[in-house]
Amino acid sequence: MKAANRPRSKTNRKTAAIVSLSIALVLTVLIGLLALNGMPLDSRGLYRLLPWVPSPGNWPDSISLGLDLKGGVYVEYEASLSPEQEAEGAEYGPLMEATQKVMMDRLSDKGFAEATVTQIGNTGIRVEIPDVKDPQAVLDLIGTPAKLEFADPNGNIFMDGSYVQTASQSFDVDSKPCIQLVLTKQGEKLFGDMTAQSIGQEIAIYLDDQLLMSPVVESAIYGPVQISGDYTVESAANVAMQLQSGALPMDLRQDKLDTISATLGRDALDTSVTAAMIGILLVMLIMLVRYRVCGLVASWALSIYIIALFFLIAVVPGIQLTLPGIAGVVLGIGMAVDANVVIFERIKEEVSGGRPLIHAVRIGFKNAMSAILDANVTTIIAAMVLLIFGTGSVRGFATTLLLGVLVSMLTAIVVSRFLLTNVVRLVKNPAVFLCAPKAQAEKEVQ
Amino acid sequence: MKLQKKTLICLGISLAIMLTALVLTLCGRGINFGLDFTGGLILNYDMGESFDTAIVEKTLGEIGVAEFAVSSSGEDGRVMQARIASLGSEDEVQLLQAALEEKLLAVYPGMDAAAATASYVGPVAGSTLVRNAISSVLLAAVLMLVYIAFRFDFASGLAAVLGLLHDVLIMLSFMVILRDLLQMNSSFIAAMLTIVGYSINNTIIIFDRIRENRKKPVHAGLDRMQMVDVSVRESLGRTINTTLTTLVTITCLYLLGVSAIREFSLPIIVGVLAGVYSANLINGYLWAALEGIGKRKK
Repeated sequence: MKAANRPRSKTNRKTAAIVSLSIALVLTVLIGLLALNGMPLDSRGLYRLLPWVPSPGNWPDSISLGLDLKGGVYVEYEASLSPEQEAEGAEYGPLMEATQKVMMDRLSDKGFAEATVTQIGNTGIRVEIPDVKDPQAVLDLIGTPAKLEFADPNGNIFMDGSYVQTASQSFDVDSKPCIQLVLTKQGEKLFGDMTAQSIGQEIAIYLDDQLLMSPVVESAIYGPVQISGDYTVESAANVAMQLQSGALPMDLRQDKLDTISATLGRDALDTSVTAAMIGILLVMLIMLVRYRVCGLVASWALSIYIIALFFLIAVVPGIQLTLPGIAGVVLGIGMAVDANVVIFERIKEEVSGGRPLIHAVRIGFKNAMSAILDANVTTIIAAMVLLIFGTGSVRGFATTLLLGVLVSMLTAIVVSRFLLTNVVRLVKNPAVFLCAPKAQAEKEVQ
Repeated sequence: MKLQKKTLICLGISLAIMLTALVLTLCGRGINFGLDFTGGLILNYDMGESFDTAIVEKTLGEIGVAEFAVSSSGEDGRVMQARIASLGSEDEVQLLQAALEEKLLAVYPGMDAAAATASYVGPVAGSTLVRNAISSVLLAAVLMLVYIAFRFDFASGLAAVLGLLHDVLIMLSFMVILRDLLQMNSSFIAAMLTIVGYSINNTIIIFDRIRENRKKPVHAGLDRMQMVDVSVRESLGRTINTTLTTLVTITCLYLLGVSAIREFSLPIIVGVLAGVYSANLINGYLWAALEGIGKRKK
């Protein structure tokens, strides 16, 4: 063994660890300050990076709030039966329910998961939308019928939007934005047979009685249908979304539109943020008491978790935090240390089994990984299901849950590991490192 | 393989809680549904000037309205909109409005009581939302079962999902038992989903330990029940610490928060406790018993 080399490489490693940790600390503090205060991006103060982590009495604008905390706009519609429905003797009840569902689906798809749709009396519908910048655009989206109709060369309607299975924004052969419709089996047959009979003739596609396009059929089309026209990517996506959620089954007349204030006072938000701060500090304290230096690492990782999570909440669309939503995020913070706890317990086991600290850290991580992975993947599966199949607040909840799990897994696997592998080079005493029994371990270190 | 006595006792306690809730519900003292689930009335008043929602809230409380959400609307926030629980009859609505108008006119003389409207409003968490939440959770449960069955074994998947069902039922039971303290509003759906995510974590940590211990030659002599015993004991450090950190944050919110937060955090506290209880005292043993049935058939 090259005895002369060992002490030097050890000192080198120590220095490397100190440098790595110092850089990490400076970065954490800098990003933390940025997260709390934001930053002007030019000298004249025209552009500004907004802060994104809340502090007591100081809620950043970058994080949208729900109706209870911020208010928004409300709009009331009067629904009525179309003349045809009237002739058929259709009843209001089921149609009202279907109309509300279509509106809620459209709102969820547009990212307003915390919007509410309720029935007023027998024929009214009230929609409340939180924290919305351009209400008219959203109202156009939810309030238009989106009644799609296909007419044969004689002008007879032979198919409608109910035969559309999925609608999405796509690009046509000239790479211009268009709407792509995948029809149901039945729809494909209807459309295919019609086009087969109409080769060389003009058919027409109408949306809300307006002509979208009237192409000359060149060949029979059994398959997806593309609607091209004067679309931007956004307008095509909006129409596709409306077609996807289905036509509004009733005629709507907008009755009232106005802003509405929050139902909870500002103090409800402030006390919650204070409560959250106290909770987080207590979690850090518990970790410090139970795991010493490792607890310090966990608290550090937790700070990074909070900064990263709120950053994502600010930038990922479709999240408006209601008061319970904030409580959920805070609870998530309490749960986020779980992965660290699992890892520390494993390290502790290895240390009391007699392994030297450096190896104990490595093996502890390895042993903890299967549990952390399986636990988180299971939760991710649940969150994905809720995100895809849920509507309204269920979908909003799933988004925050998913972000929370992903960030906590990432901080545990990447951040904690990086910090621990460096810290373990500096702290040699297992009792100080993570409150592990010292006597047994010392034997092994020698 | 039969369940041990202590597991049976634990199952008995849970069943007793659920039965109590069931009996209470059958006696007409079931879950106390709030405005989000029942719908109610929307009162609309032009106050004549911008007003303080807190004063309206206080007044509503004074005239005996139990549940309300007040907001301002219109330019300068002159229009008051209050959502309140439904009343029995038209007459009662008029009586209530008269009492409210009398008190509010004293503070805001410009209030236009003649132009007031009161209309029935349906639930925010209507049947569509609730049905959607339930079907999504069921689908999620099936997929979680499949994943766990794939990573562990079928008995583990089944035991874990049964454990989830247990925790959710206990939460619902406490909503019945604590009906005087707690109203169920749409935040309960979020609370339930949170617990689904949390409690599956607890179970998997223990199942992971069992999976690992079964491979260890040291534990070769143990039967399945003993294996669970050992695994639960070895995971105890993690169980205690994680439960502690979770409970600390949510309890802070409960103690300091307003009623909208309490409605969310108390069911969560119940759910966290139920989750720890089932993960440590029921699910593992359930797995052992289920696995025993499977093995005997083969």
